[in-house]
Amino acid sequence: MNLEALQVEVHRLIQTDQPEAAEALLRPHLAGGVGPIPLWRQMAVALRRQGKMGEVRHIQMMLVEHNPGDLTARFDLSETLLMLGEYERGWREYQYRYSLAHTVAIERKVQRPRWGGEAMPGKTLLIHDEQGFGDTFQFIRLTREAARRSKARVILEVNHETLALARRSLPEFEITARGTLPPAFDVHCEMMSLPMALDLKLTDLPGPIPYLLPDPARLEHWRRRLAGLPRPLVTLAWAGRPVHPNDANRSMTLDMLAPLAHTGAHFLPIQKGPAAAQANNPPAGMSLMSLSNEIRDFDDTAAIFCLTDLLISVDSSPVHLAGALGRPTWVMLPFVPDWRWLINRSDTPWYNHHTLFRQPRRGDWPSVINNMAQALRDFVQQPRQTY
Amino acid sequence: MSRSPNIANESANPNMSIPEALAKANAHWNAGQADIAEMLCQRILAAWPGHPDALHLLGLMAHAYGNLDVAINYLRQACAAPRAPAVYSANLAEMCRQRGLLAEGETHARRAVQMDTTHPGAWNNLGIILQEMGQFEESKRCLERVLTLQPHNAEAYNNLGNTCKRMGELTAAQRHWNRALSLRPNYAEPHSNLANLLSAQGEYDSAAKHAKRAIELNPRFADAYINLAGVETARNRHGEALRWIDSLLSFAPQHAVALASRALTLKKLDQLEDALAAVDRALVASPENAEAHNAHGQILQALGRTDEALAAYDRAATLPGTATEQALINRAILLMEQGQSESAKAEFDKVIQLYPGSAMALFNSADLRKFSEGDPLIETMHRLLNAGAETSANDKMLLHYALGKAYLDIGNSETAFHHLNTGSHMKRQTIDYSAAATSDWMESIAKVFSAKFIKEHAGQGNDSPMPIFVLGMPRSGTTLTEQVLASHPSIHGAGELGLMQAIINKIGDFPGNVPNLSAETLKQFGDSYIADITKIAHGKPYVVDKMPINFAFAGLIRLILPGAHIIHSRRDPVDTCLSCYSKLFTAEQSFSYDMTELGQFHRDYQNLTAHWRKVLPAKFFLEVDYEAMVEDLETQAKRMLKFLGLPWDPNCLNFHETKRTVRTASVNQVRKPVYKTSSGRWRKHAAQLGPLLQALDIAAE
Repeated sequence: MNLEALQVEVHRLIQTDQPEAAEALLRPHLAGGVGPIPLWRQMAVALRRQGKMGEVRHIQMMLVEHNPGDLTARFDLSETLLMLGEYERGWREYQYRYSLAHTVAIERKVQRPRWGGEAMPGKTLLIHDEQGFGDTFQFIRLTREAARRSKARVILEVNHETLALARRSLPEFEITARGTLPPAFDVHCEMMSLPMALDLKLTDLPGPIPYLLPDPARLEHWRRRLAGLPRPLVTLAWAGRPVHPNDANRSMTLDMLAPLAHTGAHFLPIQKGPAAAQANNPPAGMSLMSLSNEIRDFDDTAAIFCLTDLLISVDSSPVHLAGALGRPTWVMLPFVPDWRWLINRSDTPWYNHHTLFRQPRRGDWPSVINNMAQALRDFVQQPRQTY
Repeated sequence: MSRSPNIANESANPNMSIPEALAKANAHWNAGQADIAEMLCQRILAAWPGHPDALHLLGLMAHAYGNLDVAINYLRQACAAPRAPAVYSANLAEMCRQRGLLAEGETHARRAVQMDTTHPGAWNNLGIILQEMGQFEESKRCLERVLTLQPHNAEAYNNLGNTCKRMGELTAAQRHWNRALSLRPNYAEPHSNLANLLSAQGEYDSAAKHAKRAIELNPRFADAYINLAGVETARNRHGEALRWIDSLLSFAPQHAVALASRALTLKKLDQLEDALAAVDRALVASPENAEAHNAHGQILQALGRTDEALAAYDRAATLPGTATEQALINRAILLMEQGQSESAKAEFDKVIQLYPGSAMALFNSADLRKFSEGDPLIETMHRLLNAGAETSANDKMLLHYALGKAYLDIGNSETAFHHLNTGSHMKRQTIDYSAAATSDWMESIAKVFSAKFIKEHAGQGNDSPMPIFVLGMPRSGTTLTEQVLASHPSIHGAGELGLMQAIINKIGDFPGNVPNLSAETLKQFGDSYIADITKIAHGKPYVVDKMPINFAFAGLIRLILPGAHIIHSRRDPVDTCLSCYSKLFTAEQSFSYDMTELGQFHRDYQNLTAHWRKVLPAKFFLEVDYEAMVEDLETQAKRMLKFLGLPWDPNCLNFHETKRTVRTASVNQVRKPVYKTSSGRWRKHAAQLGPLLQALDIAAE
């Protein structure tokens, strides 16, 4: 097989979820640690799908060492390093997230220098959020540390959807909405470049929790709405945004959660988007009342989390909102999850009330759900406290 | 990315005045909100066509998004307005420079400094334009002016360093770059510039470190890759050099200088066809690039396409850029290799006249002249040597070798060896070499290729009679031997081929892996060698490969090419070593820059060739003494042809008329009929050769 045909075949195997076969096909061509770069790239993908992160790291380091100007390789390496908890280099390589073919166009060309972590009393620092809501919920916690370290006046810019939450929770800062003109500033930093500027380490996490606060009026509204419902109340989300590149791996269907039906818990779906309709046909015996249509914004979601006992969700923005509010959350993770969940652990340094349920094998949601059903039976028996 | 729908309305408030709209547009652009900024500018221009501030801002935005031509177009319009401020002209000047429009850039920059004599950016931009135009003195004054206005401006220090470097003020350049780095440690450009300078000083490790730091700081910084490849080339690590060039080309496939460097590196690795393809790509990408034409010349020359090579050098020498000196020197070297000594000498004189400080020209022309006492060039070379840090370490090394040659000509042995010792010591500092490891290696070769082992493999490989190997120590007469043979109508002299080395590279651990090679692999190696020399044989049935170091591979040659004839060229050990020692080789001869190591290498060579004498069949292994050739060429020539099974041809005695190019360190001797002055030459220098004689175990008298 010539090189090109080999690559086509490996690509096909990876696309059809046969990374073991792809690896086996590539091995002989990379024997002795020598081989063409494109094959090494494919090998890294095939191994990553199998969760062989140590070897992935080794290959990606080599690719970056070999072609330092391959910024896509650097970004791939950053995700691996962050997943392995190697934060120092990981955050550094993560700066190339706007150098990928599909991200170059969306980089915001701010005409002021980027903050590098230095103290600059008397200056103004603009911190602006980037893409997913989950990212904003997760990384907004670094704002106070950035203010402390920079000694600057900090202006925070966030998307409209999280503006109210941010203003309430970080009242000491000027907070503007993305797209509006911020006050004049000297230096800027993307929210997800803060870890690099602050040299964020695993041991610095989670920081003070909660760092997001619910709206008292909404709490009151939802307290009334949820009054009298049987406990424990478990909020539920089973699908992320369908446009997310990893959606097929991270999302599931409500049907698959059937084993949770007879655990004694009562479920409140908060699912948004097209998947919300699945709540009309819940699995047999599941005690369920969907709130999806009543939720107007993240302030509603935040209030609901504060008044209920547990969130069970796939890897999507609600798990970060619940974490920021300090609420118990069980996250259902694919075999190879996003870097922020690290590897080989059922807790996360980012949130102290999270439990992670990982697929033991690629695509194995049933095991995740069975383990969770077991744990949920225990949870139902425990005493609990809410707002 | 989502944007609030009401924002556009807010900013599009029709009652907003033009100054308000402008302030808003600038603020939005500062905050990276390009859409709104652009819209506001367009609204201003609709109300006031030609408004310079709106045009200027649109130009800056186009520039930030990489649309240089659009940006220049906006700024030209902006600067045409009666009240356009100095900074607009300064910005336009820099954009023109980036676009290669130097003359226009100069006009705008001069206008800017005239309008505002205290604008640092304007002086800076004028300074770098003048630098690129070769007006170094004025460039320097402009950049110094920036530093008077802004004493902590790291960019100005970096730019000033560049101007000084191009003026040959190396100490000042280094100082300015270091200052730029102390002001801004994460500034990639000065790191890259220092890499280039330190490489010329022979400080390769430090140079590579700076270049790698520059790449780490800016992974898409092309110059840093070029400079890093340059460091590796300078220390003969061509594989590494190629790796960095390819790394650059992976994201900048049309980079002309990278393609030209790639071509030259492939040439050093004996991959001439790929080299030609690379340089052709460079010329397509950048037809006016002097460095690409210069590289083209060198590849064509290596391919024996002499006339085209000369034309390429001519082109390189006339194009603007810094390649002129190198192109003229390459031209002269080519003429020298062609045997046109007089023209070559005239060309070198011309280069030296144009570039009186050209150590490269002085060094290359030294072999062509017979120096006599009082030669003004000797004075020139001493003056350059004493110029302190303004002459790079590499140039000083060249000058020491050239002066060594000059004083040998004059007969001043002591002074000659003072220079040769200094030059070789400088060279030795840049090389990793272990004499002990080399000894072990050669011993292990003799062990692997035992008589028994060779016998066991009889009948394998490719038994074509085409290859003739002439091997031995460098400077032992291999060139003369090849010339005599190549004058025979049935034999093509191919020069020093890298083909055996390429096979060794494929084997990996040599000789360790040799016992593991299958008969099939041996046959493949033989087949590929024959296929490669057939391509360059000019239709002749025999081809001479005179790569001297093949003496280490004679056993392997026997295995893979059992029909090959091997001629071992021998010469008086001290004369051989002395000749090696007085040369600065273009290819790597790591053993020859220290008398003791050189003597040890020769002893190892003696042992290994003594082994071949025992284990190789006499039918295919002949030894020819250089001294005997010099004494009686005809007898030795006939002896060689008989060994090869070829009829006698009288042309073999007129080898110095052979028209083909000679490309080794011996180039200027073989053109002379026969060179008897070489034999026993060492005795008059015996007093200077102590460590060598000791290592060779030869008494001075």
